[in-house]
Amino acid sequence: MTVTDPNPSTRPAQAVPGERFASPFAVETPPGAEGWESMYPYYALLSQERAEFEDGKFWFFDGMHNPEPLYPFDTIMTENWWVAASQMSTRVWPVPPAGGIDHRIINGYLYISPNAVTDPDEIARRAEEFSLRAGHYYENWDEIYEQWVAKATGCIERLKAIHFAPLPEQEPLESVLRHKGTYSTYDLLTKYGELTANLFEMGSYHFEMLNLGYGAYLTFQEFCQAAFPGITDQTLAAMVSGIDIMLFRPDDEVRGLAKLAVELELADLVLDGENPDDVLAAIAAHPNGPQWIEAFEGAKDPWFWFSTGAGYTHSDRAWIDDLRLPFTALRGYVKSLLGGADIRRPLDEILAERTRITAEYRGYLPTEADQEVFDGLVELARKVFPFVENHNFYVEHWHHSLFWSKVRELGDVFVAHDFLDDREDIFYLHRNEIYSALYDLNIGWATGTEARGVTYWRPEIARRKRIRDVLKAHPPQPALGVPPEFITEPLTVMLWGITQESVQEWLGAKGEEGGELRGVAASAGKATGRARVIVDPEDLHLVQDGEILVCRITAPSWAPVFSRLSAAVSDVGGIMAHTAIVCREYGLPAVVGTGFATTTIRTGQLIEVDGNTGVVRVVEEAQA
Amino acid sequence: MTPAVSRFVLWLDDPGAVGNRVLGGKFGSLAEMTAARFEVPPGFGITTTAYRHFLESAGLAERARAVRAEAGGADLADVQRISAEFAAAIDDADLPADLEREIRDAYAELERRAGQEDLPVAVRSSGESEDLAGASFAGQYDTFLWIRGAEDLLRHVRRCWAGMFGAAVLTYRPDADAGVLTADLGICVGVQQMVQARAAGVMFTLDPVTGDRSKVVIEGCWGLGEGVVSGGITPSRYVVDKVTFEVIRREVARQESKFGFDPAAAAVGLVPVETDRQESPCLDDDQIRALAELAKRIEQHRGGPQDVEWAVGERGDVRVLQVRPETVWSRRRAEQLVGERKSAVNHVLARFAGVGVARGSRGTGA
Repeated sequence: MTVTDPNPSTRPAQAVPGERFASPFAVETPPGAEGWESMYPYYALLSQERAEFEDGKFWFFDGMHNPEPLYPFDTIMTENWWVAASQMSTRVWPVPPAGGIDHRIINGYLYISPNAVTDPDEIARRAEEFSLRAGHYYENWDEIYEQWVAKATGCIERLKAIHFAPLPEQEPLESVLRHKGTYSTYDLLTKYGELTANLFEMGSYHFEMLNLGYGAYLTFQEFCQAAFPGITDQTLAAMVSGIDIMLFRPDDEVRGLAKLAVELELADLVLDGENPDDVLAAIAAHPNGPQWIEAFEGAKDPWFWFSTGAGYTHSDRAWIDDLRLPFTALRGYVKSLLGGADIRRPLDEILAERTRITAEYRGYLPTEADQEVFDGLVELARKVFPFVENHNFYVEHWHHSLFWSKVRELGDVFVAHDFLDDREDIFYLHRNEIYSALYDLNIGWATGTEARGVTYWRPEIARRKRIRDVLKAHPPQPALGVPPEFITEPLTVMLWGITQESVQEWLGAKGEEGGELRGVAASAGKATGRARVIVDPEDLHLVQDGEILVCRITAPSWAPVFSRLSAAVSDVGGIMAHTAIVCREYGLPAVVGTGFATTTIRTGQLIEVDGNTGVVRVVEEAQA
Repeated sequence: MTPAVSRFVLWLDDPGAVGNRVLGGKFGSLAEMTAARFEVPPGFGITTTAYRHFLESAGLAERARAVRAEAGGADLADVQRISAEFAAAIDDADLPADLEREIRDAYAELERRAGQEDLPVAVRSSGESEDLAGASFAGQYDTFLWIRGAEDLLRHVRRCWAGMFGAAVLTYRPDADAGVLTADLGICVGVQQMVQARAAGVMFTLDPVTGDRSKVVIEGCWGLGEGVVSGGITPSRYVVDKVTFEVIRREVARQESKFGFDPAAAAVGLVPVETDRQESPCLDDDQIRALAELAKRIEQHRGGPQDVEWAVGERGDVRVLQVRPETVWSRRRAEQLVGERKSAVNHVLARFAGVGVARGSRGTGA
C-alpha cells in the first residue's frame, strides 16, 4: 500500500525495511544540539538547493576513520580526502566506472557516498585513458614508490620545521638591525598557511598510488575467490603481505627495548613504576641507564609517532604523546622475557608459511594458463603491497600525529594570548576560523587593543562542547538514503567493508536486540567473554583482562589493550582496513563491519565472537 | 609368487599384500594404506584364489561363465531369476576343507590379536573389477557388519561370493564397456575388525560439486557410516580448506537415529541417537582437522584426488575404512578459469574497467 504524501518536500522519506534507508533529511537533531551546523562549513551540510540529489543517494557512515562527531578543526582531514581521493578517480586516472566520493556531515557525523559512472560508452573512453596512465604506474611501481617515500619524508621534514610561538612583547632587535621588513604577525600567518598546505600536500600523496594498489590486490583476491570458493580473506592477505611492514615496527621496537632492559638489568625498574616519567628517571639514574635511554630515544622518533586510532582525529593520541601505552606493552614483554618466553616475531616461519600456501594453492589450479595468471597476479599484488601497508605509517601515523602536535603548539599561542583556556580547545575551531582568529590576534597585538577573540571564543567553544557532547551521545545510523543496485567500487568494498551483503543486513536488521550480528570475519578464532563497549578512546583504561572489545572501529595500535582482550568487534571496517591487518598479527579473533555492535551490545553482556564466520552472538545478559 | 603361508588368506599387514591383485581393489588399497602406516582396522582378505578354488571344487566355474554371458542380453526379470538360482547353488555347495580351515584359523588369529572372542567383524566384497579404470562398481558389492563367530563368518563369505552374481552387478554398465560384464573377474572377501564408530562418513579430497581441489569435503553422521554411504541419513557437512585447514562451511544436520549394533536384533540396524547428541555436530573441530589432514596425506600418498570412508571411535581415534580414486573430476578435462591470458597489469586494468579475471565474473560497475 502506498500513501501519496501531499507535500513530499516537507516530509522526508522514512526507512523501509528491506528496501531503503531513511532520507538524510529525516535525521532529527537531538534536543540540545540545535545549531550544530554552525561548527561546519556550508558546503559539507545538506541543503534545500541540493535536496533532490542528496535525497536520492546512498550515504554510509564513515565510522572507520571518524567514529565520533567531527571536531570542527578535524574536518581538515575529511575535507582533504574528499578532494584528494576523489580527484584520483575523476581527474587523474580516471578510474573507468568510479566517480568521486561525496561527503556530508549530519549531526556531526561524516557520511560518504561514492559516485559511479554507469554509461558504457563513457566507461570505455575512460578505460583507454586509464590504461595509459595507470599502466605507467604499474609498470614503474618500484621506482615510483621510491620517489613517493622521498616525497613523503620530505613533507614530514618540512612539517617538523614548522614551529609556533606566541608573538613577542617587542619585535626582536635583530629584525630591525637586519632590515627584515616582515615581522612576527606575518610569520604567524605564513606558518599557519604552511601548516595547512603541508597537510594537503601529504593528503595528495596519500592517494597517489593507493587506489591502484587496492585495485591490484582486489583483482588477485577475486581471482582466488573464483578459483577457491570460500578461501578466507586472511589467507589471501597471508599470501601477499610482507613481514617488514612498518606498522609492526613500533611494536618490534618495544620488544627490542624490553630485551635490552633485561640485558642491562633494568627489568625491575621497568616493572616497578606505573608512571613512564618515573620509570625513565629511575633508569637514567642507573649506571646502565644511559645506554637504554639512548636506544629509547632512537626508537621514539619516528616509531612512537604511532597513533592509537586511525589517525584521522586529534583525539587519537600517539604513543609519543602518551607513553603509558608503549610502557604497558614494554612491561608485558619484560615479564614474558623473564618468564623465559621468546618474544621475537617468527619472521622465517611467517615467510616459509607464505611460500608454502602460495605454492599449494597454485598447485590446485586446474590449468597451466590459470597458474600463469595466478603467478602474475601474486607477483603484482606483492609488488604493490609494501605501499598499501606502509603508506599507513607514513601518512596516518607519522605525519598526522606530528601534524596534531603542531596544531597543539598553535593552541598554546592562543592560550598565551588569552583567547583560549586550554590548547585542546583549538580543535573546536574550523581551520578557516583559525585563520580569522589569528588575524584577530595579530590586530590586537599590533594595535595594543584587546582582540575580540579574547571575549568571543570562550563562550562559543563552551557552546560547541555542549553540542558535541549531545551529538556524541546519539550514535549515527549506519546508512541513509537509497542503496545502489550493485556495490562494486573497489575502495568501498576493501576499505569500508561495505558490500552488497552488509547493506542487505543493515536494511533488514531492525531492533534485533540481543540477537545475532553478522560482519566480516577479520581474524580467525572463536572466543566468549564479557563485552566492553568503548566509544571514546579515553575510556580504554576500563578494559579488563579477558573482555571483548566492542568499538566503532578496530584500532590496532591500542596494542597494550589488545593484549588484555579475548576478541574484538567493530561497527565498521573491511578486511583491508588499516587496522584489520594488525589485528590479525595479535592473533585475536575479530569481527569487523557489523554495523550495529556498539549500539546493540551492552557492556557486561556475555558475547561469543566467531572470527571464522563473522558472527557475534549475545550468550547471556549483563550480570546485575 | 610362492604359495608361502596360505593361498587363500592374505593379511592386510602382510609384506606381500601390497600390490597383490588377489586382494581385489578395495582390500588392495587398504593393504597399501596399512603398509604406509595409515590407521586401518586390522584384518585379512579371503583371496580371489580362494574364490576360484571354491568355484572349481564345487563344479560351479563353468556355470559362472555361462550366467554372465546369459545375463548380458537378458531382460531384468530373467537376470533376477538367473541370479537367484546361482546364489542358491553357491549356498548349497560344499566348502573345500582346506579353505574352510584357513578361514577359521585366520578369524581365530584376528580374535587373538584383538583379545576378544566372537570378535565383531565387517565382511566386505573386494572385486578385481574395482581396479578397472572408470568402473568403480560403487555400491554394487555387499558389505556385512557386526558378524560374530566363525560360523556366521563363513555364511557371509558365501553371500559375498554370491553377490558377484547379484542382479545389480550383472547389469552394471559403466560407460557401456560390455567387456567388464562378461570378464571372468574374481572377488576377494575382506574381513576386518569392526570399528565401534562414534561417528563415521565419507570425505573427498576435492569439492565434488565444483571440482575445487583446494578443499576437503567431509560428510559424517553419528554412528556407523552406512547411513552416509547408502544415503539414508542426512549427514552433516564440513568444507575444509586443504591448505590452511580452516573450516570454511559447516552444515550441521539434526540426527535422531543412527546405524549401530542393535542388541535386541543382534544385528546392525537403526537405533536412536543419544538425546544430548541429536542437535550436536558429530565431529569437533580437532576431529575435523584430523580428518582433513588425513585426507590430504592420503591424496599425496596416492598421487591424486580420492574419496575416503572414515570412522572416529569413542576415544576420538580416526580410522580409514576405504580409499578410492575420485572418478568424476579426474576423468573430466580441466576447465580453464581465466577468460583470457594476458599480463597481470592488463588483468588489473581490465578489472578497473569492469571485467573480472575469471570467466564470467563481473567487475566494477558492469
